[in-house]
Amino acid sequence: MDTLEIVRTSFLSPIVLAFIVGVIATLVKSELEFPQPVLNAISIYLVFSIALKGGTELAVAGIGSILVPALVTLALAVSVPTLAYFLARTFLRLDIANAAGIAALYGSVSSVTFFASLSLAEKLGAPAEPFAPVLVSLMEWAILVALFIARWRLRRAELNGDLPLSEILIDTLRGRSVILLLGGLGIGALIGESGFRSVKPFFEDPFRGVLTLFLLEMGMVAGRQLREFFRLGPRLLVFGVLLPLFNGVVGVTLGALAGLSLGGSFVLGAITASASYIDAPAAVRAALPQANPSIYLTASLGITFPFNLLVGLPLYYQFATWLHALLR
Amino acid sequence: MSADLILANLLNPAVLFFLLGIFAVLVRSDLELPPPIPKALALYLLLAIGFKGGVALRENNGAAALAVLGAALLMSVLVPLYVFPLARLRLRVPDAAAVAATYGSVSAVTFATASAFLQRAGMSHGGYMVAALALMESPAIAVGVLLARLAQRDHGNGVDLMALVHESLFNGSVLLLVGSLLIGYIVGSEGGSALKPFTETLFPGLLSLFLLDMGLVVGRRLRELRQLGVFPIVGALALPLLNAALGLGAAYALRLSEGDALLFVVLCASASYIAVPAAMRQAMPQANPALYVTMALALTFPLNVILGIPLYLSAIRLLWA
Amino acid sequence: MRAIKRVEIITDALEIERVAQLLEQHGVTGYTIIRDVIGKGERGIRRGDELSGVFKNSYLLTTCEPEQLPAIVEAVRPILKQRGGVCLVSDAMWVKH
Repeated sequence: MDTLEIVRTSFLSPIVLAFIVGVIATLVKSELEFPQPVLNAISIYLVFSIALKGGTELAVAGIGSILVPALVTLALAVSVPTLAYFLARTFLRLDIANAAGIAALYGSVSSVTFFASLSLAEKLGAPAEPFAPVLVSLMEWAILVALFIARWRLRRAELNGDLPLSEILIDTLRGRSVILLLGGLGIGALIGESGFRSVKPFFEDPFRGVLTLFLLEMGMVAGRQLREFFRLGPRLLVFGVLLPLFNGVVGVTLGALAGLSLGGSFVLGAITASASYIDAPAAVRAALPQANPSIYLTASLGITFPFNLLVGLPLYYQFATWLHALLR
Repeated sequence: MSADLILANLLNPAVLFFLLGIFAVLVRSDLELPPPIPKALALYLLLAIGFKGGVALRENNGAAALAVLGAALLMSVLVPLYVFPLARLRLRVPDAAAVAATYGSVSAVTFATASAFLQRAGMSHGGYMVAALALMESPAIAVGVLLARLAQRDHGNGVDLMALVHESLFNGSVLLLVGSLLIGYIVGSEGGSALKPFTETLFPGLLSLFLLDMGLVVGRRLRELRQLGVFPIVGALALPLLNAALGLGAAYALRLSEGDALLFVVLCASASYIAVPAAMRQAMPQANPALYVTMALALTFPLNVILGIPLYLSAIRLLWA
Repeated sequence: MRAIKRVEIITDALEIERVAQLLEQHGVTGYTIIRDVIGKGERGIRRGDELSGVFKNSYLLTTCEPEQLPAIVEAVRPILKQRGGVCLVSDAMWVKH
């Protein structure tokens, strides 16, 4: 498949177009607005239905097939936030708390980027393995790694030693997306294919449409962040573009080496590249109240998310096809 | 008008839920939808209508679409021009201008109810009718405000032109409708098939839920109708019929199909209660929303949805035969 | 604790951002906004139940030094005149922390 076709498919998906309409709506200062409670409900719906579906198919595929990809994902969950923390300290010259905030966001996963990559892979005829949601829930552990780094460095700097590790651990584990992902996977595995059929009209059929609606809102949020980043300077822009690019390439490569299919390694690359902006900020705000949300949210939401959605995904897919051709 | 058409319309679940909403208020039930839900439903409806229309637009031929769009544009400019002097018989300039804009602009939900009715009756309509819906939202707003500006030249101050242009073009509902229309057009039926369960299968159910809330909103205002006065009440019932008659003439002259003609007439007859008030409070805050919103919402909307749709269809059948 | 003026402003939801801007121009450093409040006043009832948003108010609470007060009141007055609403001023005690 040639590059043009990938770019075209990616750009002409309702998801990406809705995102662009959302950005335009903010730029022209339209009063279009989504009620907050509905957005919460929608994001719960999206995460839960993906996990539920993944669980039913996981029950069929069995646990054995997932072992190597899971280990690779865990390795990424440790290394990505460490790298992000290091770069944020040296290149962005942030203090410990802000650098750890950035590390937590870039280590963990943007569920919307994940959904967009799943649907792009499917459209291009290379669907990812059904256990992809499991990898996402493992990748969320990166938050823990980042907060652990923060605790360690802060204690060393004797700035703030009272961040009990057990509390961070529990906070990460009971984070919304982890609960929803693991809960959904568990329920899905228990009810199996036949049980899923009865809830399919609600959880699977309208999924893409709901996602389109959600991306419209994401476009508006990203548009609002765009204004913010002009104040934060070019370094953050470079960081927000190059880090996901690097992570994406590493993710795709490791995925391919771990034996994932074309679609699977692409999706692993996409979630490695993505930066969280819903769940990780909640954890960071609780654990590191001294970090400045406008820095880590702008980087993640204003730069990395649009970059991944518009440019990154087709790029990672192209790289994955190239790599798989090479490995074969 | 044949009784079975009225019955067919009443058996549209959306219309029944609307009546249920009114009934709930009349018996002082505590039934209530949490406020964010109707707002989200409205966004969903606009997205689904726009998207479906955009997908369909691609398959239509250009000539019929152009004629309908031309007529739609003409009507949305023309209607405020004669509603304004009529309304001026009793109303202040800003109020009359707001009423003119309200009746020149359109209601997407009335349109959706009519198209659900068509679907149940097995009649088709062109995707360009959604483009007509999008096209008719804005011009009337601009015309209404300009009329107020002309009539008040000696006062001069009232109107903020920039706010007006901005509001008529980038009004949240207009933007979402036009945006979804474009998205649907760009992705086409192939790309749109993934959204079909969302934009089509769910549509009648969510429209019913939304109309239930509309029934509650309308019901709450029915009691206050007395405060409105006789002139606005008569206007709110007569204007849709007058506009429908004009729309009927235009549709006949253009030889539209029955389905297209019904939607066109419904568009002409309907009055806006989302886009226009939102624009008016920016561009012309002197106008009293309790007047023009109540007219559109509490009288014109129920009239169109309950009686208008079958009435217009039977008139169309009579003329076309 | 210190004596200050407590200022509460309720007006059309559309204008509350402008009110906040005006307050900042007059040296107010902080405020609290409660969005989507409803009620009844001389311009009729506001239920906030439909989608155009025209029947919705917002509530703003802030404090200022007594000598800032006249300028603030004069800045807010035209908005209240155009849109309707209320501005209430009362004496309050501020807990320093």
